[in-house]
Amino acid sequence: MYAVILWTVVGAAGLLALTGLALSLLDRTADRLLLGLAAAAEVVTVVQSVVAGVELAVGHPVRSLGTVVGYLVGIVAVLPIAVAWAWADRTRWSGSVVAVGGLTVAVMTARLVMMWQGSA
Amino acid sequence: MGDEPAAAHPAATGALPTASGPGRVLVAVYGVFALAATARAGVQLATRFHQAPLAYALSAVSGVVYLVATLALAGRGRSARWLAWITVTTELAGVLVVGTFSVLAPQDFPRATVWSAYGIGYGFVPLVLPFIGLWWLRRTGRGRS
Repeated sequence: MYAVILWTVVGAAGLLALTGLALSLLDRTADRLLLGLAAAAEVVTVVQSVVAGVELAVGHPVRSLGTVVGYLVGIVAVLPIAVAWAWADRTRWSGSVVAVGGLTVAVMTARLVMMWQGSA
Repeated sequence: MGDEPAAAHPAATGALPTASGPGRVLVAVYGVFALAATARAGVQLATRFHQAPLAYALSAVSGVVYLVATLALAGRGRSARWLAWITVTTELAGVLVVGTFSVLAPQDFPRATVWSAYGIGYGFVPLVLPFIGLWWLRRTGRGRS
């Protein structure tokens, strides 16, 4: 169950990053499509943190509980901050700002996968 | 634009803001590293400082440097720009010195920091970032000329 959500988050965040970069390359301002993709990625990110939090609460073992909890809490703040920072100064670069947020969520989720399986 | 009187040019009134246009992307990347380095150092210092005091202290230093650099680059005005120059230069020195020592004397750096092996654990972004930061400060500092 958790693995499915993990890869959904990586996929949604990756798609968001690619779309954001494409908007910058095409010299277009961040638009509603990007906002929608960011919202969708944020929803699956929140679901991931809630599901993982429940699994931790019922006893899923991880080596560094503090780090995992830190990731699960921190990761839900990334996209809202990135979107706010991008929308406060909308230029062709706004898409790239959102892309940085998307990449960060994807990388953090990949790190979570490793910590979840106990390999890091 | 080129025919405006000199006083209307940003170059005449001062430097361009560092946090607009592509600079916003730079600030975003700095923000990510501020978060990553500070959080990492926080966990290291709180749970296992005694295992590698030097590496973990450097980890904390890198976190503070990224944090201040992010705020300075996001800010406006002379003092923010001055602070950005100092922190980004410190960051460059940090990644070069810590990177070199971690390669030459790995026994002194048993635990990873953001700057170990020139930031290999972070896709070498920590090595590239200060160069982009310094270039951007120089470019915006000249104004729009």
